[in-house]
Amino acid sequence: MPEVRLVGLSKRYGNVQAVDNVDLTVHDREYVTILGPSGCGKTTLIRMIAGIIEPTEGKVLIDGKDMTGVPIEDRDIGYVFQNIALFPHLTVQNNVSYGPRARDQPPEDQKSTSHRFLEMVKLLDKMEMLPSELCGGEQQKVSLARALASGSKLLLLDEPLSALDSRVRVDLRYELRRLAKELGLTTIHVTHDQEEAQSVSDRIVLMRAGSVVETGTPEELYTRPKNIFTVNFIGETNLLEGWVEDIIGGTSTIELRNGGKVQVMQADHSLGDAVVISVRPEFVFPANEGMKAKVTNITYMGTYWRITATTEDEEEVAFDVATLDSNLLTIGKELYLAVNPKAAVLYPRPEKGVQEAIKLE
Amino acid sequence: MPTIRLEGLVKTYGDIKAADGLDLEVKDGEYLCLLGPTGAGKTTVLRMISGLLAPDKGKVYFNGQDYTRKEVEERKAAMLSQAYALFPQLTVEENIMFGLEIRGADEKMKEQVLISMLDLVRLSGRSDAFPSELSGGMQQRTALARALASGADLLLLDEPLRALDARLRISLRTELRSLVKSLKMTAIHVTHDQDEALVMADRVAIIREGKILQVGTPKEVWDQPATPFVANFVGQSNFFTGEVLQSSPYTLLRTSDGVVLKGRQSDLVSGDKAVLGVKIGNTEISRERTGYLRAKVERVIFEGRNLHVDLMMDNGQRISSKIPSWKRGKIAEGDRVNVYWEESKGTVFPMPPGGLENELKVE
Repeated sequence: MPEVRLVGLSKRYGNVQAVDNVDLTVHDREYVTILGPSGCGKTTLIRMIAGIIEPTEGKVLIDGKDMTGVPIEDRDIGYVFQNIALFPHLTVQNNVSYGPRARDQPPEDQKSTSHRFLEMVKLLDKMEMLPSELCGGEQQKVSLARALASGSKLLLLDEPLSALDSRVRVDLRYELRRLAKELGLTTIHVTHDQEEAQSVSDRIVLMRAGSVVETGTPEELYTRPKNIFTVNFIGETNLLEGWVEDIIGGTSTIELRNGGKVQVMQADHSLGDAVVISVRPEFVFPANEGMKAKVTNITYMGTYWRITATTEDEEEVAFDVATLDSNLLTIGKELYLAVNPKAAVLYPRPEKGVQEAIKLE
Repeated sequence: MPTIRLEGLVKTYGDIKAADGLDLEVKDGEYLCLLGPTGAGKTTVLRMISGLLAPDKGKVYFNGQDYTRKEVEERKAAMLSQAYALFPQLTVEENIMFGLEIRGADEKMKEQVLISMLDLVRLSGRSDAFPSELSGGMQQRTALARALASGADLLLLDEPLRALDARLRISLRTELRSLVKSLKMTAIHVTHDQDEALVMADRVAIIREGKILQVGTPKEVWDQPATPFVANFVGQSNFFTGEVLQSSPYTLLRTSDGVVLKGRQSDLVSGDKAVLGVKIGNTEISRERTGYLRAKVERVIFEGRNLHVDLMMDNGQRISSKIPSWKRGKIAEGDRVNVYWEESKGTVFPMPPGGLENELKVE
């Protein structure tokens, strides 16, 4: 029943602090993604958990046991790499039964284990083929089956989908989560793709520059994250700067830099405070008053239309409508935009400015 | 600026037909996305337009003139690939000016081009930096500036955003499109990412196995897919098979369980074997109102804007639905629901000759 605990985990390369004092507990059977932009330290982190890289400081505990000095093969983990690493000269079946064979399982068990996991990833009919005869998504499913066939209850996935086409990636997300849950695995999955993280995770750990920014369920991090970096990284949002003009009951009135006024049901700032409002495009709508803006772009998104409007202050505001009434919405049309007070979130204006606070690279 | 027309292009490598009688027209100033899975022949098309590759058969026209055998230089096309291939020993400025240096442009012109390019891609402060000192997004913008500075009229983009992080990719989509639009260039952008194509393109051409399956605005390819493959590749779809009962003013399809489903008008004939496709985002579920089918909610996944709901139908078929997140609380795992859709959201196709599963393969 694997529980993974990271205690003050750090890794330094010369002057670069790749991972900086990370504490994290991943519970038994939990599916956790480590999410963040390139260079945030997420890959270094999962490699320390696997035992591929030794930490500079801190400890990795698996089921309470200190893993310091324990090599990867003795940590009882299944590991799937970004770049598919199958044995090219072995058939699909022999790739999958490699682990059981290495552990001297009887041939019947090797066979039944590989069959079981190949059936799970729906590749039983291709078990006699060589990896080169499969397409990318199928190859990565074989890697997954091989990792699972090792019998480990702890699965580490290092960007397992990023080498694949996006359409294939979408299908495999749901597959990964289903398998992990059906088998009762503890899963740690590294990705830079926030949509992928939302679809697979029980909990997301968002990293930036070696540190954990915030941890929460996909819903927590989408609806009301504590950090402005998080709200921009996970899902799309409008970030509007302004000042607290009035507070009545639990509602703040914000005077925006773009000239508009909006209300937000949140009152933990003081009058006059410089704030940033985050509001997702699905919670902005045309109204009789609010922010004055001119429609600059209209994009069809399949089940809705994404409208971009520019305020007099040259600020872009995105909002969504279910159907496009071309009398009301055309390029160049002037309108007023309001926000849903319940769905908007206030943040203190970052000292070094909004752009610096949300910078991806 | 040019209008490009491809007529009956064929290119084979051994047994593989990378282009198989491919026709396509790209209009002057248009931003066209060529969308398809890996191995569909996307890059081959770009290379035949650029002149790097000669077709076995067929013609390439630029503004109505036959350019099939014209040299690369005469086509005035700039190619930008996913590997930016900047010169590592040259600065941003030197990289951008490389094409003009080669063509021996005069100093004054070079200076003008440089200033406008740096400004355009927002790298004015970094002109002395080397590629290794830049982030991925900045490298991508430098490569774009180099492509634009070459004085090309036609921009060929081969998965230009693929190497970037997902979040950065989303921000750069609109940026790249507006840059190209402001320069009034014709752009052909190859991608495997359907979201990218929908957001960026004036028109999307969907390619598979060396053939164009459909060309249309994002709305047309989404709402009126030409084949089940298109319906499933541009946004996921649920599919139901059955026999056509009528095809006008709307189509009725009877499944093998005897359930009658509704879709848009079609050209099918009563008695035809057919497939009805409905986007998962248009597949609605409700505990109260009546629907076509009954299902049990297996999983509800919070995905931000939407909930992804996996459903098990009474006949054992699995389907999915995407509903707005504000409906959370109205639906829970284990619920029994009715499944329905607006008839205009269902598209009915003839049963694909190779079977449905084969038709839907995305790799």
